[in-house]
Amino acid sequence: MSDKMKSTTVKTIIYIFLVLVAVIYIAPLLWVFMVSFKTNAEIFSSPFSLPESFYIDNYTFSWTAGKLGIATLNSFIVCGITLILSMLIGSMAAFAIGRLRFKLAKPCMTFFLLGMMIPVHCVMIPLFTRFAKIGLSNSLIGLIIPYLTFSLPTTIFIMTGFFQSMPNELIESACIDGSSIYGIFFKIALPLSKTGLFVTGLMTFVANWNELLLAMVFISDDAKKTLPVSLSKFVGPYNTNYSQMFAAIIIAIIPTVIVYCIFSNQIVDGLTAGAVKG
Amino acid sequence: MDKLLRDKKAITVFLMPALLLFVVVLFVPICQSVYYSFCEYKGLTAPEFIGLKNYKDLLKDKSMMFALKNSLFFLIFSCVTQLVMGLFLAALLTNIKKGRNLFKNIIYLPCVLSSTALGLLWMFIFSPKLGINQALEKFGMEGPLWLMDTSGFIILPMWVIAFVALWQYVGQSMMLYMAQISGISTSLYEASYIDGCNKAKSFIHITLPLIKPMVATAMSLNAIGSLKFFDLIFNMTEGGPNHRTEVLATHLYTQGFKYNKYGYASAIGVVLIVMCLIVTGLINKFVKTENYEM
Repeated sequence: MSDKMKSTTVKTIIYIFLVLVAVIYIAPLLWVFMVSFKTNAEIFSSPFSLPESFYIDNYTFSWTAGKLGIATLNSFIVCGITLILSMLIGSMAAFAIGRLRFKLAKPCMTFFLLGMMIPVHCVMIPLFTRFAKIGLSNSLIGLIIPYLTFSLPTTIFIMTGFFQSMPNELIESACIDGSSIYGIFFKIALPLSKTGLFVTGLMTFVANWNELLLAMVFISDDAKKTLPVSLSKFVGPYNTNYSQMFAAIIIAIIPTVIVYCIFSNQIVDGLTAGAVKG
Repeated sequence: MDKLLRDKKAITVFLMPALLLFVVVLFVPICQSVYYSFCEYKGLTAPEFIGLKNYKDLLKDKSMMFALKNSLFFLIFSCVTQLVMGLFLAALLTNIKKGRNLFKNIIYLPCVLSSTALGLLWMFIFSPKLGINQALEKFGMEGPLWLMDTSGFIILPMWVIAFVALWQYVGQSMMLYMAQISGISTSLYEASYIDGCNKAKSFIHITLPLIKPMVATAMSLNAIGSLKFFDLIFNMTEGGPNHRTEVLATHLYTQGFKYNKYGYASAIGVVLIVMCLIVTGLINKFVKTENYEM
């Protein structure tokens, strides 16, 4: 066998294997999407065929009964506010560590990085009892505070790298032009590290959007639950109307899937860049 | 300019918000958590110091032993399989040009989806009368009770959940390795071909040593992730049947927030954090080596 033929066979095997892997990834999602349009009886009689008619009622029912609308809104509020605050507070601290000159910069960084290793489970109980005392339990603010804190370590770490690699001349010339340190931060440093802000923002948003444990512990009011909590509560093994639950699952993941399909390259590269540095 | 960058007031302003949050939301609660773990504390009355009793109870607690065993299983399983599969997929994908982005994006997709939704989805696929068992029935086979079987040392549901976790997160490891592999200069490979290496040999002698630092990073990410593991288990089995699929995080949640045993749950939390620190320490000691010039 010639070398060329050998390499084509190897390529074919690789492609066959990759297609199989892709099927394992897409088939479950596609199957749930398909059966979410069926009636409950149809799921058992013909589970793998296309639905006979598109039974939209499943979706309207789980949207209202599962309170998924308000849950999506809550998730947006919590994640949006956390995103903005973590970018602002995180890059402020990163600017101080990476650019300003003081003796404690290194110890500060180590202190922040320790936060990356600490699982949120370990601080949940003290936070929960304290928040209950000062009236922050069962409120979105009580959820935003720990989310914000736990997204700071990665934000600070990545942004410090960006600020340190920034050319010195830019800051020097701004100094000569007489701008204050705050002016330098907001008008030069921040706009020049848009990539870093995008990466950290994306990581923060994805992590908090999917967070279940804290949200479940801190929020008990139905009207304030976030999307994962409402979904987990609505869909359970004891509820027997399967098609409605499949519809709820699809409602919960479809926005992410659509956004992912449009921006997949940026998202994958952004998250990987974040993880490489973190 | 130096004066501007040494401005004490500005440094305080920039650092204060983050430091304050860290101390109030992270540092103080951890200390409190350690203190609670030595206390009888059920939320209604103030914590009462009882010494090591919670830790002694942990040793006698059967569910805790299940949780510990399962968490260790997850830790080892995910470190090994993520390394092997992640590296394998990365090696395959860096060797093809057409469709590389497509396959990469498909495999990465579950990483950004909510593990709550995916856990529920897989729970239905592995449930007794739906999904996989329906497909097996078509071929005249009777599928096992995927999520309820309790025979064996590592029970079937744990394997199922471990594979779902691998399915969901292998994209992350794959991307990390791909990023590292694509950073290796092609001249190294060209040199090795001239010296008579084939692709497999150059993979073993060039790629593997050069991605070692990334192995450490990816492994610590996996290790901490698998110790924190909560969403999939909670949504697929809720620790059942009979606490056999409990892991540390679900056990902590049940004890702390279902039974309100805050002191006892804090002790579980302390065990968790100690394990996290030990594992990251070990990985960084044994896997991390010098960075090569690439």
